[in-house]
Amino acid sequence: VAKTSLTSPPWPEVRLPDPVEEAKHHAEVVRKVNAMIAAGQYGRLFAVVHFASKQWKITSEDLIMMDNVLQAECGDRIRMEKVLLVGADDFTLIGRPLLGKELVRVEATVIEKTESWPKINMRFRKRHNYQRKKIIVHPQTVLRINTIQIFPCLS
Amino acid sequence: MVFLSAPKWLRSRLTDRFWRVQEVLKYARHFRGRKNRCYKLAVRSVRRAFVKSTKARREKKRFLRALWITRIEAASLEHGLKYPSFISNLLKSQVELNRKVIADLAIYEPKTFKSLAALAQRRRQEGFLAALGDGKEPEGIFSRIVHHY
Repeated sequence: VAKTSLTSPPWPEVRLPDPVEEAKHHAEVVRKVNAMIAAGQYGRLFAVVHFASKQWKITSEDLIMMDNVLQAECGDRIRMEKVLLVGADDFTLIGRPLLGKELVRVEATVIEKTESWPKINMRFRKRHNYQRKKIIVHPQTVLRINTIQIFPCLS
Repeated sequence: MVFLSAPKWLRSRLTDRFWRVQEVLKYARHFRGRKNRCYKLAVRSVRRAFVKSTKARREKKRFLRALWITRIEAASLEHGLKYPSFISNLLKSQVELNRKVIADLAIYEPKTFKSLAALAQRRRQEGFLAALGDGKEPEGIFSRIVHHY
C-alpha cells in the first residue's frame, strides 16, 4: 500500500530499548559505581540537602546560614538526614525523592547563633496620615558542613 | 515643701533635636542631591525608601523564581527539552528538587544536569508509550465506509 500522509501518526515513533538488555546494562553500571565508591575514586562530593524547609546545594567545608533557631548548642555536631542528591565528578546518585540513610552521611557543626541586622518594615498611605514603622530582628544560625560520606551499598 | 504645680519660668525644651534628626539622616546619607542633607526632603525620601524595600522583599521571591525558571529553560533547551516537559517529567519520576537547586546544578554541575535531562526525556517517552496504548481499536466498535448515492 502506498504511503500517504495518514499512514503513520504525525508524532515521531518512540521505541524504548530492550528491557532485558537494559536490566543487564543497569546492573553493570550499578556494579561499576559501587566499585568506584568502595575504591574511593571520587574527588569532592556535593550533596543537595533538604534542611529548614529549604534545599541547599552543599559541599564539605562550606557555611550555611538559616533564618531560624536550631535546638542545638554551638559546637554540636548534626547529621542531616534528608539528602536528595549526591554527586561527584563521574557519577551522581539521584534520590526518588530521598536517598537512603545508610548510603550518605552529611555532618555539620553549629558555629554561630546570632540575630539578623534590624530590617525595617514600613507601611505608608499618602494623604491619609497613616504610617507604621516596625523594626524586625530575627534569629539566624550558621552551620559549617564538615563532611559528606558515601558508602558502597547500592543494589 | 511640696510644689503641686511647676513655676512659670520652668520650661520643658527639646534638647536632643540633633540626634532625632540624625536618626533619619543616617539612612539618607547615600542619596543624591539635597535629600541627603536637608531634613525636610530627607524624611520624605527615607520613608519612600523604607516602603519600597518592604515591598521589594516580597517581590524578590517572585523575581528570583522567574530567574531560576529562565535559567533552567535555557539549560534544558541545550539538551533538547523544553522547560514544561523537563519539570513535569522530573516530578513524575519522583525527583523533588526545587528550581533554585536545579538552576545551580545547571550552572555548576553540567554533567549532573545532563543526567537529569536524560531522565526526564526517558520518562517522557515512557509516558508517550503508555498513553498510546496497544494500538488496537476498542472492542465493540466497527467502522465501515458509508456510500452516499
